[in-house]
Amino acid sequence: MSLFAKKLLAVSAAVLAIGALIALYVADWATSFPKEVAAAPAPANSGGASLTLETVAAVGGKYSPTHPSWVSYLVRTNNRWERTTDFTVPANSVVHVTIYQFDTPTGLRNPFLSQVQGTVGSATLDGKPFTTIPPEEASHTFAVPELGVFVPLAGVPEESKHPCEEAPCEPSTMDHRTITFTFRTGKKGRYRWQCFVPCGAGWYFGNGGPMQTLGYMDGFIDVV
Amino acid sequence: MTTTAAVPTPQPTGRPLWRRLIGFNLLTAVALGVGGYYLGWFIGHQISAKSLAYQEKTSENDVALLVAYLFGVVGFLIGLGFANYPVSRLLGRPASLREKEEEGIGRYFGLCTDHKVVGMQYLIGIGLFFFIGGVNAMLIRTELLHSTPTFVGPGQYISLVGMHGTMMMGMMTSGILGPFANYFVPIMLGARRMAFPRIEALTFWLLMAAGFILTSTIFFGGFPTGWTGYEPLNDQAVMGMDSYIIFFALVGISMCLLGLNMMATIITMRAPGLTWSRLPIFVWSVLATAVLMVLAAPVLVATLTMAALDRTIDTSFFIPGGGGSSYLFENLFWFFGHPEVYILALPGFGIVLELLPVFTRKPLWGYRLAVSGMLGVTLLSFFVWQHHLFVSGINADLRPFYMLSTEIISIPTGFIFLCAMGTLWKARSSFSVPMLFCLAWVFNFLIGGLSGVFVSDTPSDTSTHGSFFTMAHFHYTIMGGLIFTFFAAIYYWVPKMTGLRFNERLAKLHFWLMFIAFNSTFLPLFAIGMMGQPRRVSQYAPNLHALNTWVSISAFVLGLSMLIFIANTVYSMIFVRLPVAMNPWRSKSIEWQIPTPVPVYNFEQVPVFDSDPYDYGTPIHVGGTRPEPAGA
Repeated sequence: MSLFAKKLLAVSAAVLAIGALIALYVADWATSFPKEVAAAPAPANSGGASLTLETVAAVGGKYSPTHPSWVSYLVRTNNRWERTTDFTVPANSVVHVTIYQFDTPTGLRNPFLSQVQGTVGSATLDGKPFTTIPPEEASHTFAVPELGVFVPLAGVPEESKHPCEEAPCEPSTMDHRTITFTFRTGKKGRYRWQCFVPCGAGWYFGNGGPMQTLGYMDGFIDVV
Repeated sequence: MTTTAAVPTPQPTGRPLWRRLIGFNLLTAVALGVGGYYLGWFIGHQISAKSLAYQEKTSENDVALLVAYLFGVVGFLIGLGFANYPVSRLLGRPASLREKEEEGIGRYFGLCTDHKVVGMQYLIGIGLFFFIGGVNAMLIRTELLHSTPTFVGPGQYISLVGMHGTMMMGMMTSGILGPFANYFVPIMLGARRMAFPRIEALTFWLLMAAGFILTSTIFFGGFPTGWTGYEPLNDQAVMGMDSYIIFFALVGISMCLLGLNMMATIITMRAPGLTWSRLPIFVWSVLATAVLMVLAAPVLVATLTMAALDRTIDTSFFIPGGGGSSYLFENLFWFFGHPEVYILALPGFGIVLELLPVFTRKPLWGYRLAVSGMLGVTLLSFFVWQHHLFVSGINADLRPFYMLSTEIISIPTGFIFLCAMGTLWKARSSFSVPMLFCLAWVFNFLIGGLSGVFVSDTPSDTSTHGSFFTMAHFHYTIMGGLIFTFFAAIYYWVPKMTGLRFNERLAKLHFWLMFIAFNSTFLPLFAIGMMGQPRRVSQYAPNLHALNTWVSISAFVLGLSMLIFIANTVYSMIFVRLPVAMNPWRSKSIEWQIPTPVPVYNFEQVPVFDSDPYDYGTPIHVGGTRPEPAGA
């Protein structure tokens, strides 16, 4: 092998090594999904599974060092809050959802989405059954379009005395709204869920940032 | 072609060793580029006050990132030595082409004004980013093996789609002009250099900086718009969008300068006797492309500047809420974007028409018709852009005009097809590898052109717009048109550029695998599109799963064919290194009549042309040998 070929091979090896490192980074970036959290078994008398979620106006540095000011969903698992939007639930079952909503109203663009749709039985807002809320009072929605589930989440009034500025928000001490509902999962599959309120504060039309990034205001329900 | 004494050859002088070791080179450029980036990041944070509500609420700082990129690029260019010449002129030193004097492999890693070195730099640099774009395509097809997001996240998926499209459309804009026009146009003109050698080098290094910046978008969250960067998504996106903006702005500047340089060179530096009617058809295609670049690229740069201002200092050129119009962005983008399609296609036309006479041993049929076809495409390409907006709010009364203008452009394109067919008619062709790629172009571009009718007609476009049908159509025209001719040019001209021959068997394996896999990948996409699968979405209907699996596997085979090409290049150019004959294709074009490697100043004496390069049927007088095997 000529000296030129040896030199070129050495350079190529170095380039390949750097390329491999870059490829590893890209692979890590491209394949990063939010952590999956399995729904907890529901209490014995109700059957199915249960999910406990909260919505916060700012997720905070503890949960999102790069975007502490982004609005987000959190999920309760192992007695602590985690920022993930990928939930695993059983097929052909019912899922009981409890959402502690700590954010203030933003308002829906499409008033139709202020109606509760696709739930099993009544949804409740602060313990009272409800079927719709004024569109301008909506802070977020929990919607799984493929399952036909749409639930509007009413906002905490702007003038509340104990607002939660940043996650984690504790229902026992801070002003919030509590929304409960139940939906049926059906067959196995991967279903997208999302918030339909344009709540990405700071972006024009509110659809940027956390509304475009998995792990904040949208995610997947893996029915297994 | 004959040669007569005209201008004496300038004698290069060497530079001291210490200057070559610690002088301005790629290492210095990277160091100053990184330094400039962080300086810009710091300054950007100082000038973008927290009072901007957007930045306060989103933890994003577009001002800082844009300034960082700009300072980084300036530092990179200074590190390469682009400021040396103007500074030395400011100091009253005489003009020189000192950057041309370097010898050895080091000149490929810095500013060099030898057009042949720049051509080689382009070939390697663009090849690298073509590879990255290809890897993105493989990731996209891996994700589409499943009907729901499984392998990559939805946000990452659209970013990968955007990076793939932007990389391919941006970098491959110079895919033929960069390596092959820079290398061969001055030789074909009988010139010793380009009109503006430093600008020629600048276009390449701007492109490299741009490619790196686009790749860096993943550090800032990617971008959700695909290659078109549409508003209002553009404005809503995270900081990764800034990478897209700077990338395309740099590409636009590079394109504009490249086009100007090509035009100046072709118009003013032709050797005696090289009249317009004797100009090689490849040079005509380069000239037509250059005109498009010069006229279209500034619009892109201006548009992206406006988008950047919207994102940073709250102007509202494209923000309806502030009195702007996102539809304006779409119009301005496609005013650049559709000529861009022909910027990609025209050099391919030139290569096919340049190579067919060589391998058919016939004169180019309809030379003037081909030239008029190229000029016709150039002119008409500025009158069709709104066909991209048939379903995006276009004034309904304008639809017939743009439908008609789009269909009319098939006439000059048809001229080129006709000239190719006329040249092939009753020819005793040799099916060497470059010829195989040219014939593949005929097949691919025909499908691309026929499917184009459906997307240019408003009624059918209404159902195919934004679907995989459209995606299949433009891959047939751009990949089937440009990339196949790109490889034809590689197999035809790289032996001249390197003095080495490719392994023929591997080259043919590369061709057949690529041709079959390409069609197996993109032909089913027409059906998938007609069945309703949208572009840029990773989730699709379960009944399309089988077809998508077929397409993905075909795409992997297509990727494998590229690996075979890389293996052949490494094997042939590094390990075996078999020298190529002086004129292996028995071409009559001037580049094959001069020594290999081509001397620094190309010609000992400036040539005088007395014929065109296509008069096959009469014996050639310099360097003619028996044809060598394909791929040699």
